[in-house]
Amino acid sequence: MRDAFSNALVAAAKADPKVLLLTGDHGYALFDAFRKACPDQYINCGIAEQNMVGVAAGLAKAGYRPVVYGLAAFVPVRVVEQIKIDICYEQLPVILIGDGAGVVYSHLGASHQSFEDISVLRPIPHLSIYSPADRHELTASMDAMFASKSACYMRMGKADLGDVHEGPVTAESAIINVRDEKETTLIIATGSGVNTALQIADSLGGAAVYSVPRIKPFTAADLGPVIGGRKRIIVIEEHSVHGGLASTIAELIVGKFQGQFHAYGVRDQFSETCGDYRHLMQEHGLSAQAIMHDLEAA
Amino acid sequence: MADFDPKRIRRTILDMAYSGKTVHIGCAFSIVELLAVLYRTHLRFPDDNPRHEHRDYMVLSKGHGVMAQYACLGEKGWLSDEALHNYFKNGSALKGLADTHIPGVEVTSGSLGHGLSVGTGLALAAKLSKTDQKCFAIVGDGEINEGPIWEAALFATHFKLDNLVVIVDANGFQAMGTTDEVMALGNIESKFAAFGFDAVTIDGHDEDSIDETVRKLCDTQNGRPKALIAQTVKGKGVSFMEHDNIWHYTRLNETTYADAIAELGAAA
Repeated sequence: MRDAFSNALVAAAKADPKVLLLTGDHGYALFDAFRKACPDQYINCGIAEQNMVGVAAGLAKAGYRPVVYGLAAFVPVRVVEQIKIDICYEQLPVILIGDGAGVVYSHLGASHQSFEDISVLRPIPHLSIYSPADRHELTASMDAMFASKSACYMRMGKADLGDVHEGPVTAESAIINVRDEKETTLIIATGSGVNTALQIADSLGGAAVYSVPRIKPFTAADLGPVIGGRKRIIVIEEHSVHGGLASTIAELIVGKFQGQFHAYGVRDQFSETCGDYRHLMQEHGLSAQAIMHDLEAA
Repeated sequence: MADFDPKRIRRTILDMAYSGKTVHIGCAFSIVELLAVLYRTHLRFPDDNPRHEHRDYMVLSKGHGVMAQYACLGEKGWLSDEALHNYFKNGSALKGLADTHIPGVEVTSGSLGHGLSVGTGLALAAKLSKTDQKCFAIVGDGEINEGPIWEAALFATHFKLDNLVVIVDANGFQAMGTTDEVMALGNIESKFAAFGFDAVTIDGHDEDSIDETVRKLCDTQNGRPKALIAQTVKGKGVSFMEHDNIWHYTRLNETTYADAIAELGAAA
């Protein structure tokens, strides 16, 4: 997925000299190809994210296409106000990238983990939110963001879980069918959650799985055709259950869907212990095993 | 041809504040001469278009002084007398803090410490595009409590943005008291100089001095960003408002309005 990101970025920058990559002194190896291909379009803004976002707004006002890269814990979480006022209020076409979202930085603790990036951005107008599950969704998301005339945020989470789609997907849909045999159980997931969803579907002996690469805009028109005939909806996301994908879906179906609704995400808590990615996903009850256990108990 | 007479600008501000029953008069009065000189002489707007892609940028980072900028946009003919007079009426366009939806206003401010970064981005864009556009950014001395101001200062020096002129409206007050009482700033000029700026301190109400200093700073294309520390008086122009921070918050009544207008006398 990171190669897909680098490739899409380099291709966009080569095609349009107005594309500029701004980083808050992050992305060491990730930007090797970019720096080699487009050295004049690479701006390291130093460890100063608030200024970086303001500078991006100024560049966008003057006709440039800034891509602002940081860790999700910093971009957007540290700079929400700059995103709101400097970028979104003026509907500037700035692309924001939050890398390492969720518990990717598992050993580093609360400062580098981010379960709240989607929640804090969803209420801000003129901002689209992408959360790709694999390299195909990422490439489609990048295409959509570069085609957009307003601001976009893309969260990049756990990147090495493998593909969930067999080939390229299109960027038009907020929600994509991964597999659907019209089962009564529907799993809707985003990011790393899609991989988990496929495991859950197998363990359940069958369930429809849909991926949501675009969390905003995400409307009843996107969701409606997917939920017909279902008796149970399971949502999985490596993000807080408060304000992310589960909230988005719950807001849309309340009063309209009569079946069971299970939201699996990070509960109202920080990571308590140190350990690897699998360990922390287990701690938060987000491993396939933990989710199955919970579903069986439900 | 608009001449940006400071007395007339202050009268416009008083009219806005009185008809809109609003505050921040002192914040606007301290930057009148600065804006007057910049709009009169230094800011270039091709085709007289406030959104021309090759315009100079007038960033009012201290958005609380926006009535002074609105008055100047009125002088430019970009805001009608009616728009100014309808200040704060329900459904009107002009808000109480700088807002980019108004042509000529480059940043949405009021949340402090944003505008200088945006202005720094605008200055960088001009450098990347190899145009001779300049960016003037007025920050308040209270505003420079904000961390991003100093992030922007580092950035401007590192990227050699000698087309960026930071103007510090050093009126010595912020919301809750004097800058010395609230958060002592020390020597502002030497702080900017230490960050690599060409920095100079002048009387921020002396139009000739402002004009000469801005000209000199802009002519010195040496790779160093510029800082003009303007020593100003909060509430300048009306004796009972000067140096009295109550005019950050106080609304005009019939008497104070009449007294203030009388003090300003006839505009030129």
